[in-house]
Amino acid sequence: MMKKISLITLVALLPLVTFAYVSPGKPTGLVNDFARVLTAEESQTIGAKLTALDQQTGVEVAVVTVSTVGTDETIESYAEKLFQEWGIGDAEKDTGLLLLIAVDDRQMRIETGYGIEGAVTDIQSGNIIRNVLTPAFREGKYGEGISAATDALTAIITNSPEAAQYSDTSSSQDSSGWDFDFASIFFVVIIVINMLSRFLGATKSWWLGGVLGAGIGAIIGLIAGFLYVGAISMIVLTILGLIFDFIVSKNPPGSNGKSGGMWPLLFGGGSSGSGGFGGFGGGSSGGGGASGRW
Amino acid sequence: MKKTLLIIVALLVVLGIYSWSSYNSLVAQQESVTAQWQQVETQYQRRFDLIPNLVASVKGVLTQEQTVFGDIADARTRYSGAQTVNEKVAATAQVESALSRLLVIVENYPTLKSSETVRDLMTQLEGSENRIAVERGRFNDGVRNFNTTIKKFPKNMFAAVFGFDEVKYFEAEIGAESAPKVELI
Repeated sequence: MMKKISLITLVALLPLVTFAYVSPGKPTGLVNDFARVLTAEESQTIGAKLTALDQQTGVEVAVVTVSTVGTDETIESYAEKLFQEWGIGDAEKDTGLLLLIAVDDRQMRIETGYGIEGAVTDIQSGNIIRNVLTPAFREGKYGEGISAATDALTAIITNSPEAAQYSDTSSSQDSSGWDFDFASIFFVVIIVINMLSRFLGATKSWWLGGVLGAGIGAIIGLIAGFLYVGAISMIVLTILGLIFDFIVSKNPPGSNGKSGGMWPLLFGGGSSGSGGFGGFGGGSSGGGGASGRW
Repeated sequence: MKKTLLIIVALLVVLGIYSWSSYNSLVAQQESVTAQWQQVETQYQRRFDLIPNLVASVKGVLTQEQTVFGDIADARTRYSGAQTVNEKVAATAQVESALSRLLVIVENYPTLKSSETVRDLMTQLEGSENRIAVERGRFNDGVRNFNTTIKKFPKNMFAAVFGFDEVKYFEAEIGAESAPKVELI
């Protein structure tokens, strides 16, 4: 009996003990109103402003309202953990900013990413909190306060000497660079698969693909420097190689009228379109910014 | 006979690859711990750079409180002279206690509290304290990961062979667990 009770308490307490920080959930956009203090119109207007700022400067500003940060976290530690969890801002440049509002705690924080600490100083964050957010929040005007803070942040970020630096390397070029990389990798993969299918198909054997897969897996393991990665990629690639070889050996490309027997296989699955918010860039913060209460 | 030899060679190859990848991953983890400690020191430096400004802007008003300024100056000298991590941590603790005393004093002077310069310095100092807390926390996380890796079987054998030692956690000295409180708003 005692054992049962203690086990139940243990299980019940376990999440509290190990995860003092409770994530509010997945980001749904730049504005995440978990505390439901904004009207749909307000969050849309603020979201549009933030999207424009992101496109112009490459700085991702996330607005998050939660009802409470919990008893085990301060607004500072909560903001830092949320920032890390979501990865707000560009991964390389860390140009992200989080405006966190804990409505029931009557606390707020502006947390700046590493790359933006120079543009939005702690003093500026403190001034926005003191002069813009606090007076509005005292009257319960959350939407107005956040909207005005967004304008202030936009002005600071676009007028800072660093703004030019963000815009020419971060947002616009970043995405095109990624597209280019993705396209070229995809291209190479297609060519390699096509070549392999011809080669392996021509040999008629069904085991060579497995051997090739194992070899590639071993190389991946060595590059990654982890035995587990190597072992797993060896096993997975061996199986994939065997299946691949088996299929192409059954229908060798170019022999049965169809050229490139692998094409339908490659495109057969179809790609699922990504609907909605694509997530943040993976940036991190180091505890910069300012906090306040109202 | 030939078969046994083949098995031995295969085992040696696997062992070789494993120790290679273990060594590399241990080096990578150790380096990231070192880099994280540098982040902590950067933030300490930032705080030290802020203190003279704060001292300069309040010294004129606080003519009665000279000991605290002496303590701060003393701790700064100790920090810049510190060679080992332990000495640095000790000097930091001294700075923190002197600084928190200064902040309490500033609280009691309404003219200072309402001064914009002092308020801005306080905001910066507050930011500095939070950055230090964050980087310290990440340093300790990195140390925990590294220490766990080198203590767990079978990597503990490699760690012993290659000479990887346990890294000490950052522990705030007694009396300095809490950063100087800044409450001005």
